[in-house]
Amino acid sequence: MAKIKKKGQSGQAKNYITRTQAVKKLQISLPDFRKLCIWKGIYPREPRSRKKVSKSATASTTFYYTKDIQYLQHEPLLQKFREQKVLEKKISRALGRGDVGDAARLERNAGRPDQTGKPRYTLHHVIRERYPTFIDAIRDLDDCLSMLFLFANLPSTTAVPAKMIARCERLCHEFQHYLITSHSLRKSFLSIKGIYYQANIQGEDVLWLVPYKFNQRVVGDIDFRIMGTFVEFYMTLLGFVNYRLYSSIGLKYPPKFDQTKDEKGAELAALTLEGVNLATNEETTKAITNGEGHGPDPKVQAEVDKLVKKLRTETNGDKVDEEMAEGEDEDEEKATDAIDKFEPAAPGGDVLPQPTYSGNDPSKLFANCTFFLSRETPRQSLEFILRAFGCKRIGWDSILGEGSFTTDESDPSITHQIVDRPIIQAATTEEGDGEDNQTAQKLGPNQRYPGRIYVQPQWVWDCVNDEELKSPELYAPGAALPPHLSPFVKPMQGQYDPTIPLEEQQTEGEALEAEIEDAKVEAESEEEDSEVENDMDVADDNDDDEEEDSDAEEEKEDEEDEDEDEDEEVLQRQRELEAEISGKAVKSKQVDPKLKAKLDKKKELERKKKEEAEDLERAKGMLSKKKRKLFEQMQYTNKKKSTEDMKLRSKRRRLEKEKAAGKA
Amino acid sequence: MKSKPVEKKRKARDEESDSESDDELGNGLFDGVLEASEDEEDYIPSDAIDDGDSESEASEGSEEDEEEDDDALLSDDIPSDIEDNDDMGKLRKGAEELEIAEPGVDPKPKHQEEEGRNYRIEKDANGGERYVYDEIDPVYDSDDSDAKGPVNTIGDIPLSFYDSYPHIGYDINGKKIMRPATGDALQSLLDTIEIPKGWTGLTDVNTGNPLNLSQEELELVRRVQQGLIPDELHDPYPDTVEWFTSKQETMPLSAAPEPKRRFLPSKNEAKQVMKLVRAIREGRILPYKPPEEREREEEEKEEVQFDLWQDEEPAAPNPMHIPAPKLPPPGYEMSYNPPEEYLPTKEEREEWEKTDPEDREKEFLPQKYNSLRKVPAWGTLVKERFERCMDLYLAPRVRKNRLNIDPNSLLPKLPSPAELKPFPTVVQTIFRGHEGTVRSVAIDPTGVALATGGSDGTVRVWELLTGRQVWSVKLSSEDPVYTVRWRPTKDAFILAASAGEDVFLMVPTHSSVTPTLDQASRDVLAAGFGYATNGQQPATAPGKEPAGKWARPGTKLEDAGVLVRVTVRSAVKVITWHRRGDHFATVSPEGQRSSVAIHTLSKHLTQIPFRKLHGLAQTVVFHPLKPLFFVATMRTVRCYDLQKVELVKIVQPGAKWISSLDIHSGGDHLIVGSYDRRLLWHDLDLSNRPHKTMRFHPKAIRAVRYHKGGLPLFADASDDGTLQIFYGKVPNDQLESPTIVPVKQLKGHKVVNQVGVVDIDWHPREPWCVSAGADGTARLWM
Repeated sequence: MAKIKKKGQSGQAKNYITRTQAVKKLQISLPDFRKLCIWKGIYPREPRSRKKVSKSATASTTFYYTKDIQYLQHEPLLQKFREQKVLEKKISRALGRGDVGDAARLERNAGRPDQTGKPRYTLHHVIRERYPTFIDAIRDLDDCLSMLFLFANLPSTTAVPAKMIARCERLCHEFQHYLITSHSLRKSFLSIKGIYYQANIQGEDVLWLVPYKFNQRVVGDIDFRIMGTFVEFYMTLLGFVNYRLYSSIGLKYPPKFDQTKDEKGAELAALTLEGVNLATNEETTKAITNGEGHGPDPKVQAEVDKLVKKLRTETNGDKVDEEMAEGEDEDEEKATDAIDKFEPAAPGGDVLPQPTYSGNDPSKLFANCTFFLSRETPRQSLEFILRAFGCKRIGWDSILGEGSFTTDESDPSITHQIVDRPIIQAATTEEGDGEDNQTAQKLGPNQRYPGRIYVQPQWVWDCVNDEELKSPELYAPGAALPPHLSPFVKPMQGQYDPTIPLEEQQTEGEALEAEIEDAKVEAESEEEDSEVENDMDVADDNDDDEEEDSDAEEEKEDEEDEDEDEDEEVLQRQRELEAEISGKAVKSKQVDPKLKAKLDKKKELERKKKEEAEDLERAKGMLSKKKRKLFEQMQYTNKKKSTEDMKLRSKRRRLEKEKAAGKA
Repeated sequence: MKSKPVEKKRKARDEESDSESDDELGNGLFDGVLEASEDEEDYIPSDAIDDGDSESEASEGSEEDEEEDDDALLSDDIPSDIEDNDDMGKLRKGAEELEIAEPGVDPKPKHQEEEGRNYRIEKDANGGERYVYDEIDPVYDSDDSDAKGPVNTIGDIPLSFYDSYPHIGYDINGKKIMRPATGDALQSLLDTIEIPKGWTGLTDVNTGNPLNLSQEELELVRRVQQGLIPDELHDPYPDTVEWFTSKQETMPLSAAPEPKRRFLPSKNEAKQVMKLVRAIREGRILPYKPPEEREREEEEKEEVQFDLWQDEEPAAPNPMHIPAPKLPPPGYEMSYNPPEEYLPTKEEREEWEKTDPEDREKEFLPQKYNSLRKVPAWGTLVKERFERCMDLYLAPRVRKNRLNIDPNSLLPKLPSPAELKPFPTVVQTIFRGHEGTVRSVAIDPTGVALATGGSDGTVRVWELLTGRQVWSVKLSSEDPVYTVRWRPTKDAFILAASAGEDVFLMVPTHSSVTPTLDQASRDVLAAGFGYATNGQQPATAPGKEPAGKWARPGTKLEDAGVLVRVTVRSAVKVITWHRRGDHFATVSPEGQRSSVAIHTLSKHLTQIPFRKLHGLAQTVVFHPLKPLFFVATMRTVRCYDLQKVELVKIVQPGAKWISSLDIHSGGDHLIVGSYDRRLLWHDLDLSNRPHKTMRFHPKAIRAVRYHKGGLPLFADASDDGTLQIFYGKVPNDQLESPTIVPVKQLKGHKVVNQVGVVDIDWHPREPWCVSAGADGTARLWM
């Protein structure tokens, strides 16, 4: 006979462990356990049946896999935690004895990472364990980047030490530098929460959110210890990721950091990238010099001179250089121009996404532009995004910090100026008397330098997302901007898409409904017209009639294929009812055919719908209970989505109508 | 060795002579101090001095003022001061006595002693000097400080209390101690000018006399204050006495040879040194640096970065690990400048604000800003990030398979109803006439007449196509006619109907009934009477009521055509004919043991086949080909072999309460309707469980019926007032499963008191069906 099984000795009861049990098993405090879980990526599990796992468990009990906890038991960090605990005990004992000197000595050894930002332990083995390959780490970078960018923008408090913030900022800048050099930034989106960026790193899409540059308000009960634990882990992760990324493009990590520049608010420009090869260090040093920086490099100058001598025809060496470079570029493009189109040779195969061909390489989108940022624009984000898309020369007002290509607004090389200020009606006195020293001459309000394109910041984002330079007229200063759309939304069949005209996406029924309404309105207005101003606008009336006739003809053509078994009487009755409601005599037949046809169509649609519903009901009855539940659930969500879309469409229709009315 | 003590002695002697010349009192005091080690009581004064001067006045000054404290301290000395002379004398006396007691002592110390010391310096065994103190004679007076003089006994109160009195306290005998005479102001002035010897300017608390201290006492006080040893002569650092000298003794203590280990370098030490060397090499021991510098260096140290994934090897992800889901990317409505249709209307905004933040579908409202500079900071960004963190480490992760499929793909592909024609679609005739519910309908085997039974107790016969009532009879005034069923053969035109406990068999008049057919029918019914009178009916037990009483119903009914009445024990709800027409079964659900009865028409015989039934019998049906009999109780359908009298099969439809049952003409398929809204198709060959379950009705199903004339149709009737027509093709091949397609829902009957359609019957040949409704009508659908 088989052994009698005892309850709670095998199966689910053994596979799961509650948090309290886990903490007891590991012999650490709850905060330490939390830290360990965060770093090691251990999360609670929901057992299939709580009852089977533990009889006394309430709804709020959290369960972990026993195996996960066993895995934690071998963690070297655990020993560090215990050592820390012992040290804390020693300190408190020394303080209890009144032995201040001893306590201070021990305290020095304690190395509190939450205060100094410098722990005594390292987390790299954890990172290696959690992300066995580099791609795994990239895949999980979303939260890491959002968190670090947020912390880089937080005010320093006791809970968030200044050192931690500085380190976050540094890491973020380093990462941004990688994106700029490798041109891997793909999309960006100005949302109400902040700016979303999407980069493609080694084939993985990484999306993160950067808050706007404001003092972040800390509302509600937020435990910064938890956030700190995450940030500690993420900082280490991003450090190693940065190292790998830098070395993958042949740069030295960490890049040189210029403290003085940073203090002056240079941000990105405070870091200087260097090549790995020490012998060719001079050449590979790629400071973000903003184009000219320290004047012409003697070597380059010499070569240019040589060229000049050689050619002798051109007066300007630089021009030749540029032309040559352009010629080369064109050649390259020609070589890479031919993108194969994959046409299905035989029908029946699945349709795969075609290799997209974009004429402009994202790394050269802004290559030929020189930007100047006005004081009111967000410099950090603009600088980053412009550089990531190939812009080499960006100038800004000296108020915005160090590191600009030029602080002189009147610089003739500027091609684009980004402004975000309204057009002032009355010319007011010049503002900003303190900055006069750098700008020799200041322009009054609304005055512009000729030969320059003035745009609002959204232009940059829209250009980036559409991968082409948009026409700047729409984005002129003071102009009502076109809507800024999220580049992350993937258009789905049947979903509302604001970029497509309404006619292409509305359902038949909706279109019909709208038309009927239009027709009714028109009819009413016509009636009024005919009643009130009968003799005034005869010609207009005729015009209207003609239009209507043509409309009616079109619709008739549309309806040709539909069966024509509608009964007149119902229609007539409806007409009568309508007339009754509007308090008018039954209308003559002349407007009827159009309206009638439409109403018929509507009726037809309704009939069809009804039939479909009947069929559906029949089929649904044949489903099993489980499947039917599933079906109903799916239908529920689909219906919810479609009603939302319908709402949006109707709103848009109304808006369009209003707009049309406003124009007319 | 010997010269040093001698010198010291000499020095001491000089000092002694000095002190002697100074004051005699000094000796006395000194005396007391040195005695302290032996005599505690005497030591108290000096102890008090020691306390008061060397340390803070913590012990005594806590209660009194500083001055008083000083007074008190000094006052302690006074007795000894006063008694100095006596004391001295006493000691001397003691010394002399001692001299007598110790005759073997050198004369030299005695001489010194005579010079004013209470000790002698003697040579000890090693030639060093040793102080020898006099023995104290323990007589009564020897150590009595009480008797020393008039001690003020006022206790621990300030002397100022006695300022207005001539005396300053009381001695031990209660006598007043008078205030010592004080000079007038001039005198005191003079006193300040020429300071008497030992004047301190202090007053003895106890006596009121000015407190004088001798030079010796002052010296002592000073030494104690400085923390020196009070005894001037004591040498705290004497020369070492080399007991074990480097000098070779002629007779060494041990003659053992020097051990080897003395000459070998220590291994343990080497180990210790190596430990340090290793620590230094490994950098565990660093040269000393001031802590500030070290801290700064540590801060400057960068975190070491290296290629963590240098030797990466892709491993298959752990199947138990669920990666955290990424946050969804922002949609159009999140833009700072969204298309205008995304902006909420006023009502939407109000509704959003009204709902609880936890119940909101979206946690934000889309907003439009004209330009980028107007976009403010997002207030809850930190909180959102924090919540994400909490989700990452606290939320249990469950892998949910999102079915990204078109819901319509779940639906079975049903053939279009148009292909499955013919089936009834519209109502053709409505039969009105019954008052109240029409309980039952039946079409006769020829397909021309329709019989209905209603709650009003009447049975009516109609012409099927025209809807004309041709015959009617009222069977009962109080009981409704629950069921009407035609005898299934064409050789006779017999109708069975039940009202209450009675089952009536009748031959209605109808245009299709020829006189011969009528006669044949009457003969069939009458045959039994002859059988009964012949006495071939088995005799029932005398005390027992027979299972069924066969009788003529009375002349009135007989005239109408009702020829036989069978009375069973309880109300009959269901009648089912055997295909040959000789037997019929009745079910009376309340009848418990006798709920199912089988009647033989030719013999006028009623039998109760079951002694006991599992559950309430609901309905019964005869197998169309075999001698099998199906009984449906509330939960199960049991199949009995009537010949072998045994249970063949138990079919379990899984319904809670079976309402109706019908068997396919092939005999292998069964449909079951239930009050819990299910219609179940059973394939008897395959399984006991249903082959197909259909739920088309929101209300209970009352009746189910197969088409018996060769068309693959069946129908059910429900309390929601509808009939559902199904196409149910049973294939000839046993292995194929039947095709079941719902084809039509027939609506028309009204629901009265939550009862819709009660009964249904098919035309024997045509795809027509008749339904009986609670609204008092029967309808023909074709």
